[in-house]
This record gives sequence, C-alpha cells and structure tokens, in this order.
Amino acid sequence: MIGEYTLLAIAAPVAVVVLELAVLRTGLLREGRYWAAVAITLAFQIPVDGWLTYAQAPVVLYHPAAISGVRSPFDIPVEDFGFGYALVTAVLLGWRWRPRRDRDA
Amino acid sequence: MEPLRYLAVLVACLLVTLPLEFVLGARVLRRPRRLALVLLVTMIPFVVWDLVAVARGHWSFAPGRTVGLTVAGLPVEELLFFVVVPVCALLTYEALGVGRRRSRDR
Repeated sequence: MIGEYTLLAIAAPVAVVVLELAVLRTGLLREGRYWAAVAITLAFQIPVDGWLTYAQAPVVLYHPAAISGVRSPFDIPVEDFGFGYALVTAVLLGWRWRPRRDRDA
Repeated sequence: MEPLRYLAVLVACLLVTLPLEFVLGARVLRRPRRLALVLLVTMIPFVVWDLVAVARGHWSFAPGRTVGLTVAGLPVEELLFFVVVPVCALLTYEALGVGRRRSRDR
C-alpha cells in the first residue's frame, strides 16, 4: 500500500508539468536556465531539508504509513524532492507566465 | 536554541541568496508587486497540501523545535518556508539569466 505522501509527491510534479505543457505554455521546460535553477535548488534542498529532517533533532516528523521509508540523502524522505521540484517549478511558471498582451514586459 | 531550528535555516537560505539580487543583479526583489502576486498564487495550493498533509497525519512538527506561533494551523515557519524557498528559486533563476543578458550585450 503506497503512502499518501508518496503518491502526492509523484502526482504534484506531474500535475505541474502537465499544467505547463497543456495550459500555461510558457516554454519554461525548454530552457536550460530552468533546469539549471532546478538542479541548484534541489542541491540546496539537501542541506536545508537535511537540517529539518535530521534524525537526531528533526523539526518535521513523518508518519511511516504516509511515506515510502526511503530516506536519502541523510534522513530526507525522498518524497520531499518531489514536493520541492513541484514548488520550484510552480513558482517559476508563475513568474514566467504573462498574459498574451504583456509578453514582452 | 531548539525552537529556532526552523527559522534559522530559513534565514540562512535568504542570507545566501540575497547577494544574487544585489550583487549579481537578479531583478526579483525589485519587482515587488509581481513577486507578491506570484508568491501568493503559488502558496495557495502548497499551503492547502500542507494543511491536508497535517490533517491526514503525513507529517507533523516536533514540539519545541519551532517558535511555537501557528497561523491557520501551521507553524509560522512553514508559511515563511513558502515565501523563502520560492524567493530563493526566483533569485537563482534570474541570476542565471543575468549572465546570459550581459554576454548578449557585449
């Protein structure tokens, strides 16, 4: 039985990508700059999330039934990277999206 | 300093990325209205996700490791997280674009 957070952590990135490809169509996912920003932010997620989930003194506690139990690197539930990717992509999509008439603003 | 654990890491994120705005010339903080709008719109689904997750027990916050102030049922740090992480991502993205803009104008 797959954990609910695991499901959401897969669904959210998919939903954001579908939102871009089917609705917003900003072209963001074709930019090298976007993928570089994702790589950098996910890399920074490691120390930040590592700190928040550090087993000796975690700030965030996860219910075992909600997650896969895979924690890497350090004690970070892998699901958090799905959450992080979705959040970062959603923000960048919002930033890049322009109503047609404002395209060059 | 246990209660400051979450806040401290958020402050650290900002300190590390603020130079992108002021030294590398990323224009994110200097577009406050656009920034506020994007942050607000993005926060909605993720705060909802967070509230659902807490309600369904996916995760919880360790007592004593947050400041203790909650807003809408979430630690205030969690709401700040949804401001800080997007700002960091935007600063990163825009700073990467500055290099490209400068070399194009050379």
